Amino acid sequence: MRFLMLSGNGGNEPDETLYVEMGKFIEELSKQGVLLATGGLDPVGTRVTSSGGELTFTDGPFTEAKETIGGFALVEVRSKEEAIEITRRFWKIVGDGQGYIHQVFGPEDAES
Amino acid sequence: MTATDAHRTIDAVWKLESGRVIAGLTRMVRDVGLAEEFAQDALVAALEQWPNSGVPANPAAWLTAIAKRRAVDHLRRAERLERKTEVIARDLETRPDSSDIDDAIAELDDEVGDDLLRLIFISCHPVLPTTARVALTLRLLGGLTTDEIARAFLAAEPTIAQRIVRAKRTLAEQRIPFEVPVGPELAERLASVLEVIYLVFNEGYSATAGEGWMRPTLCQEALRLGRILAELAPGAAEVHGLVALMEIQASRSAARTGPAGEPIPLPDQNRGRWDQLLISRGFTALLRAKRIGGPPGPYVLQAAIAVCHAQARTADETDWAQIVALYDGLARLLPTPVVRLNQAVAVAMARGPVAGLALVDQLTGEPTLQGYHLLPSVRGDLLAKLGRHGEAAAEFERAASATRNLAERTLLTDRATAARQASAGVTLAVAADGFLARSDVDSETARSYGQTLRRLRQDLGERVALASVTPDQVAEVFAAAWGNAAARTWNRHRSAVRSFQAWAAEQDWPVGDLASRLDRKQATDAPAKAIDRDGIETLCERADTALRERTLWRLLYESASRAGAALSLDVENLDLANNRGRVGQHWVRWGDATADLLPALILGRTRGPVFLADRKPAPARTPADVDLCPVTGRRRLSYERAEYLFKQATKPHDPTGHGYTLRQLRHSRLTHLAEGAP
Repeated sequence: MRFLMLSGNGGNEPDETLYVEMGKFIEELSKQGVLLATGGLDPVGTRVTSSGGELTFTDGPFTEAKETIGGFALVEVRSKEEAIEITRRFWKIVGDGQGYIHQVFGPEDAES
Repeated sequence: MTATDAHRTIDAVWKLESGRVIAGLTRMVRDVGLAEEFAQDALVAALEQWPNSGVPANPAAWLTAIAKRRAVDHLRRAERLERKTEVIARDLETRPDSSDIDDAIAELDDEVGDDLLRLIFISCHPVLPTTARVALTLRLLGGLTTDEIARAFLAAEPTIAQRIVRAKRTLAEQRIPFEVPVGPELAERLASVLEVIYLVFNEGYSATAGEGWMRPTLCQEALRLGRILAELAPGAAEVHGLVALMEIQASRSAARTGPAGEPIPLPDQNRGRWDQLLISRGFTALLRAKRIGGPPGPYVLQAAIAVCHAQARTADETDWAQIVALYDGLARLLPTPVVRLNQAVAVAMARGPVAGLALVDQLTGEPTLQGYHLLPSVRGDLLAKLGRHGEAAAEFERAASATRNLAERTLLTDRATAARQASAGVTLAVAADGFLARSDVDSETARSYGQTLRRLRQDLGERVALASVTPDQVAEVFAAAWGNAAARTWNRHRSAVRSFQAWAAEQDWPVGDLASRLDRKQATDAPAKAIDRDGIETLCERADTALRERTLWRLLYESASRAGAALSLDVENLDLANNRGRVGQHWVRWGDATADLLPALILGRTRGPVFLADRKPAPARTPADVDLCPVTGRRRLSYERAEYLFKQATKPHDPTGHGYTLRQLRHSRLTHLAEGAP
């Protein structure tokens, strides 16, 4: 099963150590055959609102910046607990902050 | 944290870490069985402690540290210690407890990769039977329990357990070293590892038994093992080839089963449902393999074939020529019957079912393919494409009884039924259409054959089964239609029936000896005799001659064109100002008498046939648009009808009493021209 892990921009300012640690962590996940895709996001995003058929695009930065998404990882694991275990390791490196774990539904989840 | 939560967490950690823990321990104690035992001890300890103490910061290191302590205890208790292990034991003993975990972390970071690779190699050691290799690998590297492995392979748990125990014993008894093989042994050992991983993948991808068509757990387990291996042995092109192959095959998971769980073959899959992420991972893996270089191995070639499919946006865009070339390469490296069967499928797609069938037929005697359901399944498919439905049905039935997978059996049984119906229920109309659609006859012959078959269909019925048509029926149609026709006409229709019958028999359709009651006629007809000019004049000016007939006869006489061409004239192709009309590439030219009549005949019409039938066609017999008048809805006047009317009208003039033919009318003009007529 796949999980999308999102991490917020809050917490500590990234420093050199964090980059090194994070690089090692990502490498580790690849070696464990778990990581499908990962990436960091530009904090200045564009908000899209669709209302009554009309699309509105608003460029960031937004005031509630702490809730924006700073990075993502798409992992393939065998249970939610495995995803949580991986997240645990991630936050041990990053420190304070906030993130989300969502299961990404695949064909095997479609029938239920 | 509740006890259940803790157990789930422990299970997750175990599945993620057990491979590395066991690998590290095996290096220590040089025995996979013992290593696993100590790792299990650590797992039991975790189950006891974590629910109260919480999950430790580095669970893998914790498990390793505990397991190592157990290992040391064991080694101490053992009466005779090998020198090597003694050193390790003393070494560990002298360290303070608190550094155990740091030590373990350091080792996990440094050497665990190598240990894991050694563990993979020993689990897949060729000294073990394949089934044991698979079970041991899933157990040691995947962290799967015996029960989970048994369920994935639909086997009894004790069977799997015994397989694993025996495998571990064999490895110990034969003193299989815990190492990454080098030199010429490496290629062979690596092939064994890749075989095990691909076997697990295939068991999940096209489950050989049971109800489901796929068991995703096994696919994912194999993919995970492949991805791990790719990181551990990044210099082996074949590893990346296998990963690419599995990624791309897995990308089709969502598209390869229908709503009822039935398998959907590759060409019919909705490509929009292919997982683009896995496809791009597959492309990347294949690129890695290619960058390593060297002659492509079997997995790289298979991956390249998978990439060809993944790159085609629709099934029709598939580059079959390229796939055939890749299969040629694969068949040279791996000339197994299964590879050659797949090669035959590709050849059939690239060069047609006849070429494919020729290759498949070479394989029917292969002992290893006896009982392999894909051989009759492929053969049935090719036969069906060739219209040999009876043989196809038998092949599909054979395939259905050979497969152990229920979803696949249902699909094959359905195809067998469809082929049976196609074989028994070919109608005369379908057979005739198939016959006329052949590309190996010229258009003139096709038109002639078309006339014959049209008449048969018209008189015997559109829906009549080909098998039920008797020679007597055909003879009756011939007597009615062409009984009085010239011998040449009769013989032409006769040869059409013979040719049709031979072709239908070739398609393996049940067909009688349709032409057996049709005797060939001796050509005895004298050259057409000219009609005298006054006779034609009288005929056209008779008050009871309709405008259409008058125009047609004038036109035929003045233009000296064939009746078929005149009847093909369309209003939009008339050039009234220049007394001519175009038929295809040719012009039909007429004189003043025709020119006087034509405008009245086509009054109110701007397109469609010039000469129209008297009545609208019956709804079931609606002809093609080109033969239909958009204004009146009537069809084009047929040659037969025009001929009949001319014969009726000329009976009184013809000394023989038969009436003249349209051909004679044309012939008369040519004769008169030769005599110097204007």
